[in-house]
Parts: sequence; C-alpha cells; structure tokens
Amino acid sequence: MFDASMPTILLTPLISAVIIALLLRRQGNLAAGVSVAAAGIICVLSLKLIFGEEGLNTSYKWLELGALQINLGFLWDANTATMLFVVAFVGFWIHVFSLGYMHNDEGKARYFGGLSIFMFSMLGIVFADNLFMIFIFWELVGFSSYMLIAHYHKTDEASRACRKAFIVNRVGDLGFVLGILLTFWSLGTANISELQAIATQHPDKITNTIGLLLMCGFIGKSAQFPLHVWLPDAMAGPTPVSALIHAATMVAAGIYFLIRIQFLITTDVLTLIVWLGAAMALYAGICALTQRDIKKILAYSTLSQLGYMSAAFGLGYTGIALFHLTTHAFFKALMFLGSGSVIYGCHHEQDIFKMGGLYKRMPVTAFTFGIGVLAISGVPFLSGFFSKDAILIAANLKSTPIFLVLMAAAVLTAFYMGRLYWITFLGKSNSEHAEHAKETPVVMWLPLVVLATLSIIGGYQNFPYIKELFHAFHGSLEKLHHEEGHDAAHNLLLVLGTVAWVVGLGGSYIFYKAGSSMDNLERQQPKLFGILRKALFFDPLYNFYVAKIQNKVADIIDVIDKLIIQGVLVRGSAGILYVTGLFTRMLHGGNLQYYSFWVAIGVLILGAFALGWIG
Amino acid sequence: MNETLILPLAFLIPLICALGILIMGQEERAAKSLAGIGFGTPFLISLYTFLKFEPGDDGYDYLMEPVNTGLQQFGIHFQMGLNGVSLPLFCLAGIVGLAAGITAIRSNAERLPLYLFLLLLMHGGLMGIFASVDIFFFYFFHELALIPTFIMIGIWGSAERQIAAIEMTIYLTLGALVSLLGIIALYLAGGEEASLSMIKMASHLAENPISPDSQKTIFGLLLFGLGILVSLFPTHSWAPRGYGSAPTSNAMLHAGVLKKFGIYGLIQIAAPMLPSGAESWSTSLVWLALGNVVLIGFVVLAQRDLKQMIGFGSVMHMGYCFLGLATLSVIGVGGAVMLMVAHGMSIALLFLLAKYVQNRTGTLEMPEMGGLATKAPVLAAFFVVATMASIGLPGFANFLGEFSIFNALWKHSGWLVALAASGILISAIYGLRAVSNIFFGEPSAKLAKHWENEAPRDLDLWDRIPALLLICFMLIIGMRPMTISENINKHVKDLSYKDIAPDKPEVSTGMPTKTNLHKGH
Repeated sequence: MFDASMPTILLTPLISAVIIALLLRRQGNLAAGVSVAAAGIICVLSLKLIFGEEGLNTSYKWLELGALQINLGFLWDANTATMLFVVAFVGFWIHVFSLGYMHNDEGKARYFGGLSIFMFSMLGIVFADNLFMIFIFWELVGFSSYMLIAHYHKTDEASRACRKAFIVNRVGDLGFVLGILLTFWSLGTANISELQAIATQHPDKITNTIGLLLMCGFIGKSAQFPLHVWLPDAMAGPTPVSALIHAATMVAAGIYFLIRIQFLITTDVLTLIVWLGAAMALYAGICALTQRDIKKILAYSTLSQLGYMSAAFGLGYTGIALFHLTTHAFFKALMFLGSGSVIYGCHHEQDIFKMGGLYKRMPVTAFTFGIGVLAISGVPFLSGFFSKDAILIAANLKSTPIFLVLMAAAVLTAFYMGRLYWITFLGKSNSEHAEHAKETPVVMWLPLVVLATLSIIGGYQNFPYIKELFHAFHGSLEKLHHEEGHDAAHNLLLVLGTVAWVVGLGGSYIFYKAGSSMDNLERQQPKLFGILRKALFFDPLYNFYVAKIQNKVADIIDVIDKLIIQGVLVRGSAGILYVTGLFTRMLHGGNLQYYSFWVAIGVLILGAFALGWIG
Repeated sequence: MNETLILPLAFLIPLICALGILIMGQEERAAKSLAGIGFGTPFLISLYTFLKFEPGDDGYDYLMEPVNTGLQQFGIHFQMGLNGVSLPLFCLAGIVGLAAGITAIRSNAERLPLYLFLLLLMHGGLMGIFASVDIFFFYFFHELALIPTFIMIGIWGSAERQIAAIEMTIYLTLGALVSLLGIIALYLAGGEEASLSMIKMASHLAENPISPDSQKTIFGLLLFGLGILVSLFPTHSWAPRGYGSAPTSNAMLHAGVLKKFGIYGLIQIAAPMLPSGAESWSTSLVWLALGNVVLIGFVVLAQRDLKQMIGFGSVMHMGYCFLGLATLSVIGVGGAVMLMVAHGMSIALLFLLAKYVQNRTGTLEMPEMGGLATKAPVLAAFFVVATMASIGLPGFANFLGEFSIFNALWKHSGWLVALAASGILISAIYGLRAVSNIFFGEPSAKLAKHWENEAPRDLDLWDRIPALLLICFMLIIGMRPMTISENINKHVKDLSYKDIAPDKPEVSTGMPTKTNLHKGH
C-alpha cells in the first residue's frame, strides 16, 4: 500500500499537519486521530526500512541559483537506521500517550498538528544528505519546539519559555550557518558523502574554525554550555512534548549531527567537546539536585546525559555516543512520560514534595518509572548500564580527569534520580492530590510498558531486532574493545560502576527518606543548598544581558536614529520646516475634485517635466 | 487574441475602473464592484502570464512590438514584456494588489469611492512598472503609483499623518528626481544610438560601454536616487513613519510592491548597463546596507509600536536585498530577487494583520496588549506565520533569499556575513517578542477593560481571504522555490552578473561515495 521509502516517510507527517491545519482545527479528536495515524504509518514504514529493505539514497534538486544548489537528499546508513528507530518508534508511542494526556485539552488540534510538524522536521534531519538540508530542518525543528512549548500560551511562563528556546537556539544557529557557509565555500560542496571523501583525501583543508562553527549548532540544539539555559524553561510545554522533543529526539539531534559530520571535526575541537560534555554532565547533575519540580529534575538530567554523549563523541567513540543517545531516548522518554502520568494522576501537581506514596495508587507508573531510574543510574543488565559503562571505560582509557568528572556525575545521577523516586513514589502521600491519584488509562500506561521493555533490552547486542540497531555502534565498541588496557578498565568499572549506583541510590534513600515532604538538604544544610542553587547563576546573567545591555543599546541607537538622522538631517533645516507648513496647508483644505486635480497636475507636471527636459 | 496585449490590459483595467469610479461619483456599491474588477483582473492576468511563461532567446515573453509614442526621437517607445526577473515581481504586484484591494473594498473608509479610485490608480502604476521594457515608462508608472500614496496618507492617514506625508513626499520626490537625472544621464551617455528600451540599450552598451568615470557618476545617481526609494540607510526614516501612518491597503501596496521599484531598477537596468560603475560603488553599498541590517536592526528592537516595528523591520530586510545586489553575482542578485518577492508578500501580510490587531485592541502599543490568542486564534496563527516568514524560517522564501545572499557575500568576506547574519538573531528577538506581547499571556489591565466594552472577535471569512491569499503564495514559493527561481536564475545569468563558485578540491575517483545522485555525472 505504501512505498516504504525515505521520501514517503518524510512526507507523511507533513500531509497530516496540512490536513489538521486546513480542516480539523476545531475537531480535536479527529486531528489527534490523523496525527497518531500518521505517526503509526511512519513507524511501520520505518521499521520496514530498518529491519528489512534498507533505504535508497535519492536526491532532488530544490533550489538553484548560480553555483548554489540546494538539494533535498536522503542518505541511508547505519546511523540513519538507528536514529530513525528512535524518532519513529519512540515518537509513535509518545503520540499514543498524548491521546490520554491531552484528552481534555482545548488546543488539542493545535497540539497534534504541532507534533506532526515536529515529526516532519525531525525526520528531515535524520535523512538529510547535505548540510543545507540539515539547516533547513534544524530551523523547522526549532519552530515546532517553539510552537509546542507555547501550547499553554496563556501563562507567562510558557510565553517566555518558547521565546527563549527559539532565540537561544538561533544564537547557536548563527554560528552554525556560518559554519555551513565556510564548509561550502572552502570545500566546494555541502553533500555529506562528498565532504567525507574530501576530508579523507585533503585533511589539511579541515580547519578548527569549521569544526568550531558547526559545533555551535550542536551546542544550541543539544542545550550544551553556554546555551543550555533554554531547556529547563522549555518544560513549560506539555509533558509528552518534553519527552519527545526535549529529551528523546530533538535535543539528541545535536549529537546525531556531530556524528554525521564527524570527519569535519578536528582533534582540538574534539578535546573542547569532551570537556564541555564532561563539565555539563557534572554541572547539570548539581543543578538537578536542588530542583523540586519533577520535570525540571528530568530536564537537568537530560542536560547531564547529553553531556555524556558529547564526551563520548569527543573521545572519538561516535558509535558509543549514538548508543547512549539510543538507550537514553528509551529510558528518558519513559521517565518523562512517567512524570506526565504522575502529573496527570495528581491533577497537575509538579512538586515532588507534594507527592509521595504513589506506588500504591499508580503501580504501573511507579514500576516502569523505577526501571527508568535503574537504567539511568547504570544498574547492571539494563540498557543504560551498557552504554554508560562504555563511555566510562573510554574515558578511563583516554583521560583521567575526564574520567573522574564523569564518575562523579554518575554518582550524582543515581543520587538525584533516587531522590526523585523515593520522594515521589514511596512513603506516604503529602497532598490531597497525591492521596486521590489514580492509575492512568491504558493509552498512557501502555507506552510506559513498551518503553520500559526497551529500557531493559536496549543494551543487548544479540537480542533480535535490537541487534540491527547495533550496526551503528559496532565499530566504536570493537575499537574500544581492542584498546590497550580495556580489560583492566572494564574490571575496574564493574567495581566503580556498582559503587556509583549503590552509593547514589542508597545514599539518597538514607538522606531524603521515602515520601519526604521537605527537602532534607535545604533543612539540614541551608548553606550548602544555597551554594548549589547558585549553580543556576546563568539565568540571571542572561536576563541581565537582555535588560541592561541589549535593550539599552537598542534604545540608544534608536535615539541616535531619531535625533540625528530623522531630526537633524530631515527636519532640522528651516527651509524644510517652511515647506512643511506649506504642504500642511495644502493638504488640509481638500475635497474630491481638488485632490483629483492634484493627482492629474502631479502626473502631468512630472510627465511634461521629463519630456521637456529631454526635448 | 494577441497574447502580447495581455500586459497592457493589466495596467489599463485598473486605470479604466478608476476612471469609472470617478465618473460614477459617490456611488459606493458601483465603486466597490468596479474596484473588484480592477484588482481581480490584474491578479488573474499575472497568474496567467506566470503559468504560460515561455521566454524566447532574448529571455522575454509577451514582448510587444515597440509602439511609437511621438517621442521616438528621444528613444522612447511604449513596449511591454516580461523576463525571468520582472515576471515574479509582476505577479507579486498582482497578488498583493488583490489582497490590498479586498482590504480596501471592505475598509469602510470615509469617502470610499475616492479611496478606491486612488488605490486603483496606484495599482495601475504598479502593474505597469514591472511589465515595462521601456525605461521611460518604467519610471512613469512609478510616479503614477507614488503620487496617490502621498494623497492617501494625507487624507486617510493616522495621527502623525501630516508630518509623515510631508517627510515621505520630500524624500521620495528627491529620490525620484535623482533617479530621473540618472536615467537621463544614462541615455545621454549612450551616444547617438542610445535607446530607452532595456533590451536595445543593454545590447548597445555591451558593445559600446560608457567610460568608467561616467559609469561611476551615473550609477551613483541611480544608486542614491533609487536607494532613497527603498529606504537605503541613512535615508530610511521616511519609511516606518510613512507606513505607520498610511491606511492599511496603501501601506500593503507601498511596502509590499512599490518599494521594490528601486532595487528592481538597479538590478534590471543600472548594474547590467553600468558594470564598472556598479563595481566601484559595491563596497560602499555593502557598508550602507549593513547599516540597514545591523543599526536599523537595533532600532527595530527598541520599537514598542507594532506598525513602527514592522516598518523598521522592512527597512532592515531591504538591507539584505542591497547586500545581494552589492555582490553583483548570480547567487546574490538571484537571492535579492527571491527576497524581494518573499518580503513583498510577508510585509503586506504583516501590515494587514497589524490592522486586525489594532481593531481588536484599540492600540498599537505592544506592551499594552496580551492574551489575544485566546480571543482570536486564527489571527494569532496568521500572525505567527507572517512573523516566521519575515524572520526567515525555512519553508518561506525569505529564508532562501537571505541564505543565498549570505552565500554570495561569503565570497567577499566571512566577517561581513557574520555581521549581516546577526540580523537573523535580531529579527527573531523582535518578531517573537511581538508575538508574545500581543497574543500570549494575559491581557493588560487596560486591554481587559477595553474588552469589557467590546469583546474582540476572531477574523471573519472576508478578513481571512486576503491573508490566506498571501500565505498561500508565500508557502508555494517557500516550499517549491524552483517555481520562481528557475526563471530568475536564467535571467540573472543573462544580465551577465558574475558566476561565482567555490573551489572544489580534487577528489580521486577511486573513492567510492555512497550517494547515487539523480544527476548526470
């Protein structure tokens, strides 16, 4: 029935979005149906490609001006397949979850239309075979993110957050677009395969500047330092959006992009990326520690995990970065949807200290969420263990300081995730809402079960189907395996890794107590808590910049424009003032005939003037 | 029917309808019907010319034989035709004209017949500008469109109208006069064989180029004359104020179409005929255009008034068109033409929507608004679309124009591109701030009070039609740019702009590449 090719997959969500925008604005349920159906078709067709026939590379000319040619091209390789699985499969289940979560929402049609636009944009990045096309869909992804964060536009929080997300991303995109231009004009092409050929044969042409500028795009989209500020605020959007866009797929697009263009990144830039990533892994963990909002904790945790991915990439193990991207997509989407389930069950309560004891009332949510927590903490036999372990081994072999930072971040991860879990799900209820919470309907818990399953099996490279995803990881895993000292590092990690999650999860249980209604850290160590809160100093810094610098400069230039250019140059001279008075009088006393006459005279005079002049 | 007659019809019909309204006097209904014909027909004609466009070897289609005007001793003939560059602008005039026309017919303006008369006159001029092959008529039609503008602002404009009308009149008359001087100088410098036909003059000058010194002077006249008309920095101040106080349909036509006259003239006439003149002004033009983009960009950020913001934003985006032109390359000039078309539609849409917003909030001060999305979701959606288009979101042709221009400018200097590209950030900041201020959050206390007396309604069908018309064409070009870019690319090459290309390092063929592109190897 459907041709399972990349262009068909790409166009399906666009058609869905167009149908919703044109016809189904007021029919929320139908719109939801169309959007979920589109996601279903994408999912089925993608699975066919991933586990079956393989995509066929194609390219269509889209714009041509002189030597500038922009193609819409489709590039299929192991990376495409894995990323497509994440986007199509996880995306589909998040669509299903949304059916329940957004059930009574006023703007349901707008929401599902937005999801379809997002799927379209994200798939464009996954398939793109050239930098121009990546940039086009990059921006579109930013727009869909903007639109979906703005879903609850009545609140000031959402109104500010959507703007912040788009603008901070554009800061990154500014560097990104310059990087693309530099690449195109210095290497002569924007096509990824051609660029790879050039990079292999002319390594001298690949400069640090190219890598640095292209990296800006990654920093914006994957919310890495110093452009990370938008992601926690983006939690103002509906929770399934946070799961899909701000955890599993879009923010990971930055890493995916780096992997696509890995040959354009020089060693120096790689070193920078490792350090940025490791620092982010730790820093975001510290920020997560003092949050009370369940979604914000998860948001900072996402930042931290993205830091792991970029560290893996920077260490030269691109496949392992993609591996962690994949497992993270499973368990983080799971936990975000789980938090959505909790929020839904508790009537939009998001403060974990007002929850507690939910395991009795929401058993499926509590159980699946628990799997997510164990997976992210690196508990053995779950997917997160394998990918995180690989990253830590790689760090251990390459650089001790990086390793130490990432280890500290690993302990911290288990600690803050434990804090979240114990307080939210165990103990007794701390509010009315939590007391009367009910397990969510099947459309909401089924996706949790599916994602929980993936979070368990996602790390086994011999598991049916999962092994197909591993084609993209094999190279790096093999490379790591054959590094000198791998076995020793592996054994060391078995011990240290266990220490990390045991200390983290256990420590948080002892320190915070199950179902606590107060932040023990804040109560017992107010000073330390205060210092940790200071870690969030970036937001005030940016606000200061906007209010005191950007707006001031704008006002000053505006005044200069008004005073000097408009004032002095235009209306300053007496002569012009005289003319002003004259014209004003002319324009004042008029009727139809007079003005018509004026037009006629004007045209005639000008015509005659021109003719007379020439004659 | 002789196909070449279709172009004169495009400007004659609005003019005849205008005349009809004049004769009918105060008959409002008749005036409305006539205006409907006067704006509808050129739109249909422009679509027809677009769909049937098949340029000959000279790059023109619908080219009529030159008609003697009695002034042939001055090289003036009446001749019309369309080429790859004028065609999309001709269609732009048709599309925006219809949108503005519908808006005007429904505007309940005082003395509506007079208003429609003037707007039709303006529209006749606009349809004439881009169809003209003869430079004299090209100029004449501009004047025809310009003069009604002054009057309309004077009569129907808002509070600041007198100053605005005068400032605009002074600037634009000055610009028009300087460009006229330039055109005359061009004609005189052409020598015995000179003609005011773009086709003849171009081939004549290709063989007998004007001396570099004269070229420099003449191009300078044209650049500044025409530049003033497009609000080239620092002669931009008339534009935001003029648009701000102009009645909506007039602002749509002026900012959307008429303003493109200047750059169109530079691209189609001045730069190809005076290549060395253009070359010698190129650097100065880059800096002035950067003034438009960066300095005015900051000025836009400081605006609190919606229409002023849109007006300054338009000045800013014109800077990109000038940058494209300044590169004198196929990519840059092609990008400038794309951007002109795209910007023409998005700015017209923004002015239209600004009026809708004003009707519903009773103010143009953005900080005093808020929460309109709940009351008027369709208006909000349209406004977001218009904003996204104008800040260069891919999917709209504005992006392609800007992106091509950045590419062309890169050949000159990456630093300049970095400066120019900062505009994409600036536009995002002010564009999204406007959306948030107007539509998101809660209404301001003042606005909430205003709405107690008068609950705002969403757009009705006839409000939507002109907006949808514009959005529809914006999306068609944005999604399928080849619709217009193929013809633009071809004609810009014919105009002998530089063909710049990156140097591609040699790659040995032994290297297998994974793609199998659908193009000949």
